[in-house]
Amino acid sequence: MSGYIDVSPNPINDRLERMAQSIAERVAHLVIDSIDLNAILERIDVDGLVSRVDADALVDRVDVEKIVERVDVEKLLERVDVNALVERVDVRRIVDQLDIESLVAQTELGSIIARSTSGVASEVLDVIRAQSVGLDDFFARWTNRVLRRTAEALPLGPRTLVPVAPPSGTAPPVDTRTGNGQ
Amino acid sequence: MVAAPPIGLNEGRQGHYAGAVSRLAAFAADVGASWGLYTLGLGAVSLTVELATGRTFSVDRHQIATLVVLVAWEFVYFAYQWALNGKTIGMAMLGIQVVKADGTSMTPREATLRTLALPLSIVVFGLGFIGILVQRERRALHDLLAGTAVIYSWDARAARLRWLARQGPEVSSHP
Repeated sequence: MSGYIDVSPNPINDRLERMAQSIAERVAHLVIDSIDLNAILERIDVDGLVSRVDADALVDRVDVEKIVERVDVEKLLERVDVNALVERVDVRRIVDQLDIESLVAQTELGSIIARSTSGVASEVLDVIRAQSVGLDDFFARWTNRVLRRTAEALPLGPRTLVPVAPPSGTAPPVDTRTGNGQ
Repeated sequence: MVAAPPIGLNEGRQGHYAGAVSRLAAFAADVGASWGLYTLGLGAVSLTVELATGRTFSVDRHQIATLVVLVAWEFVYFAYQWALNGKTIGMAMLGIQVVKADGTSMTPREATLRTLALPLSIVVFGLGFIGILVQRERRALHDLLAGTAVIYSWDARAARLRWLARQGPEVSSHP
């Protein structure tokens, strides 16, 4: 034999082959079109499939160092609007969550404050003021009782200094000035 | 060792309307301070006159003049300090401050108006002060006339923290 002949030497066979191929392609198209992929996907247990994947082995194969090396952090930071980010942080809420009293009482911060604010005069002033405020509250309570009004109905202070608290059960007001109205 | 601030003062009061006792105590301290300064001034004037002229200077012989000086001095004492930072010596001691009704800083105009209206609250047995107890914003007659209000400028919470800091870790277990 001199060599391999790719096509059939018989022209009839060749034509039959082409016809068979076109029929096969057509049938394949018809079969694919008739398949409801969504229905098939619904029948697949994705959770079961995922549970069979060894995620740790997958992660082990990823070279994180190499990925990090390729990240241009400077460029990334340039694209971050830090001011907008900070504006979205509710600092007051964070501070409210801090237990400042235990921080002062249990850490060196307490002794620092004590050293910086030491002095009998300031201590005496604090006590006088505290006693006065206590008596203020006492008289205010009794006056309200006599006048049959509740303390909650009265303003705490000028609006610019003490924001009006929203009635209970309603959402807090949106602060549009700081862009916190998310 | 002085007594501790009340435990209940664990919230800041800055900006809240000041109550009757704080205001009355501040006013009493101011009356004492202004009277003390006036007496000191009068003594200094008497001494100067005696040294300069060799004659004794008696207040009894110049009652009208001393009354006019006293009224002028009281006006300057209150109006100047309120115009300066909204506080008198007594108010600074008690941690309270005068502001405009909307909470902004007082101008010399309001300070002057408030000082002129203050005697109106004192006359008729001090009935002008009743507003501090019954008015919604704890404003006395002279506050309403001058468009002012009195607020706490003292941070009660900071005072409590200072007290805690002085006590040391042994009180940290207190609720």
